[in-house]
Amino acid sequence: MSVVQDTALPSGQGARDALHHSDRLRRKVTEQLKRRIGEEDIVAAGPDKRIRVPISGTKPWRFVLDRGERPGGVGQGDVRPGDVLGPPDGDADGSGTGEDGAGTAPGEELYEVTLDMDEVEELLFAELELPRLKRKPDPTTTEQDVVYDDIARKGPQVDKKATLRANLERNARRGRAFVGDVDRDDLRYRSYHEQPRPRDRAVVFCVMDVSASMNVPRKRMARLFFYWCVQFLRRRHEQVEIVFVGHTTEAWELTEAEFFGRVATGGTRVSAAYELVDEIATRRFPTADWNAYALHCSDGDNFAADNRRTLELVQRLVERFALVGYLEVDSGTGFGVQRRLSGFFADQAADLDGFVFATADDDRALWPALQRFFARQDVAGAVA
Amino acid sequence: MSPAAATPTAADLDRIDARCQEIAGELGFAVPPIVFHVMGSAEVYDIAARGLPGRYSSSRFGASFRRQHDEYRLGRSRIYELIVNTDPVHAYLLDGNSRVAQTLVMAHCIGHAWFFAHNGWFGPTDRAILPRVRGAAERIDGYMAAHGRDRVEDFVEACEAIVVHQPQAQLVHAADPEPEEDRPGPYDALFPDDVTARRDRIERAREDRVHRVPLRPDRDLLGFIEHHATGLAEWQRDVISILRSEQAYFLPQMRTKILNEGLAVLCHQEICQRLMLPAEDYWQYEQLNASVTQPHLGAVNPYHLGSTILREVMRIAQDPDDEERERWPWAGEVDPLEQVRAVCRDHDDESLLREHLTPKVCERARLFAFEHVQGNPRQIRVSSTECDEIRERLIAQHATFGVPHVEVVDADHGGRGELYLRHRDEVGLDPEYARGTLLQVATLWGRPAIVETTRHGDPIWYVAGPDGHTEDATERP
Repeated sequence: MSVVQDTALPSGQGARDALHHSDRLRRKVTEQLKRRIGEEDIVAAGPDKRIRVPISGTKPWRFVLDRGERPGGVGQGDVRPGDVLGPPDGDADGSGTGEDGAGTAPGEELYEVTLDMDEVEELLFAELELPRLKRKPDPTTTEQDVVYDDIARKGPQVDKKATLRANLERNARRGRAFVGDVDRDDLRYRSYHEQPRPRDRAVVFCVMDVSASMNVPRKRMARLFFYWCVQFLRRRHEQVEIVFVGHTTEAWELTEAEFFGRVATGGTRVSAAYELVDEIATRRFPTADWNAYALHCSDGDNFAADNRRTLELVQRLVERFALVGYLEVDSGTGFGVQRRLSGFFADQAADLDGFVFATADDDRALWPALQRFFARQDVAGAVA
Repeated sequence: MSPAAATPTAADLDRIDARCQEIAGELGFAVPPIVFHVMGSAEVYDIAARGLPGRYSSSRFGASFRRQHDEYRLGRSRIYELIVNTDPVHAYLLDGNSRVAQTLVMAHCIGHAWFFAHNGWFGPTDRAILPRVRGAAERIDGYMAAHGRDRVEDFVEACEAIVVHQPQAQLVHAADPEPEEDRPGPYDALFPDDVTARRDRIERAREDRVHRVPLRPDRDLLGFIEHHATGLAEWQRDVISILRSEQAYFLPQMRTKILNEGLAVLCHQEICQRLMLPAEDYWQYEQLNASVTQPHLGAVNPYHLGSTILREVMRIAQDPDDEERERWPWAGEVDPLEQVRAVCRDHDDESLLREHLTPKVCERARLFAFEHVQGNPRQIRVSSTECDEIRERLIAQHATFGVPHVEVVDADHGGRGELYLRHRDEVGLDPEYARGTLLQVATLWGRPAIVETTRHGDPIWYVAGPDGHTEDATERP
């Protein structure tokens, strides 16, 4: 007997590996996106625009000869020298120059995905959250919590434990208690119900240095940073209040449009901004009812005499705020590092609880900065 | 027996197999029994994606499984058979294929089995590879559980990038240049400075040879890294050895694709013609046979070219012209199928093409050489139907089955522990792929890696660091 109906092989491995491949693709896309958040085509993409992400990490890399330089190949067919074959311009018709000998032709596969902004943000923001959010319920609204606490006979998500138990019970009823011969009837699914939960109130102060020293690249970085902050907050924390503040030696509360469009001149006095934040918070967002966050972005070119005052204000704010964050852009050039605010903070406020600061010299540093400020509790350890 | 289109039972297949084996024996192609497995499409396509059943889990196999299985489900392609060179030989048949299709496939498999058993390149193949493959898959599963799936897969992916660069893939070794020797000359006394300089130079070169790692360029890239990279964990070395030994199984098949498929086609044709199929079945058989051997316009169908060459060998054995008598001492002197067996024992694709790609074969197989049309990569221009030109092209493609000649030259380049690779072919490496592959090499090596190649004829060096940084240098870094 040499023909066997085979059941010995593990089945479904191909399909499982296909799922692994999807996961891997997703991870690689996210990695690419993080590197590219500074690029115009993503930032400028409106909600309707779709962006293309090459997934360089998933190509099956091999050393291959340069096709552009290759002398050609061999084909089969009734032709004469000089005949030109193939589609006239790049239009796929399926019969092209396919198989090319093992190893020479990298497999034809999808190495680029097209995403809309919803998908982009979904992938990116899965890793961020508003940290240290405390119970500060908003009496006016609630949100729904999804609680998985039930078993059903229908559903999308199989509950393995419950399924096996049902199987065991069914077998036992038939006289022999064992786990096996799992039947469609045994399948049990996880089921949920929604539980109303009061929404926690939160306010985020976005504070941007708009002084003269903030040249075009620095302003661009600062705006990019706040662009992603706002996108994140709007998507993940719909009800969060955002207060926009711009400052030179003075500080103003601005509308969102003013904040992102504002050009001003003058020197820098950071304490003015923190004073304004303090004042607005005290007046409109009492700590008892609000989780408050302040994010400040500047080039750190502060009046030296003002650093001490700024630190005092930061120390006062962190007592009431969930988090005070400071991002210094382009700190590597121009003034000496020690004169910059980041140098001063590194010296004086490195251990201050609730205060997080970061520097970003180019677009690639933006994502790590966002991760520092919006560190998810479960991954905070890994990021720090 | 059931009608032609119906799915055969295991007992039907057993009868067909016995009859095919009987005929094969009469033709001189007797093989030990083949174990045929009849399986569903998901299983068959899983093995197709992996190359060997039960091979380790990898998203690369998953991607290829999904692509091919979707093609099948859409009715755009169909795998009829997969065969594994083990002892005994296992073949996997797609359940649901008609009786005639299974008959053709089983007869086809006899050709492969005979080839596996007799072709010289398959001598070193490990015929007990299946349990080893399963054990390796379990170990890799364990590493994934211990170190995280992504980390292990990243590492596997890096190894896969260069695993094909193994010695059997490239047996052509360039001779080392003869080292310079200190030979006294008649005018030495006149130029004492030159003599000292020459002695110094020779001494330095000797020192260099002694201390250089590798001593001579090494084409076994992954093997070299396995033995010389310092930062690899035990599990990583194990993964490398798994991938290398599994690749070694595939190499003889890669280098004999045309010949192996040619013999399998010849076998299924000879056997099926002797099965005395009823007219209706024979009609179906001919359709399937034609779909297997149909020439492709833009590339060479190895089934067609291989069987065309072997049919020519048979004709020359039987009915040679004077020129052929002159060229081959066996022409007209030997049983045609005996000569086919001799060719199948001794050749790989490269030597087969050198010896047997004659103008007559080129004409029968309608072969032509083409060039790519500038500015439209999808268009080709027929450049020649001359046999010599075609042979040269085909040999260039098959000599290394498309694997560029890359070798390790220095494991401590610049005294910085950088891995220096050199690429030598008529044309340079594709820049994007060179950088991408080199990044994987640098990850494995743990330090920067460099590859020396050409771009449009000018030398260029691609450099990649384990940190993901790459650069192109026009001067030796």
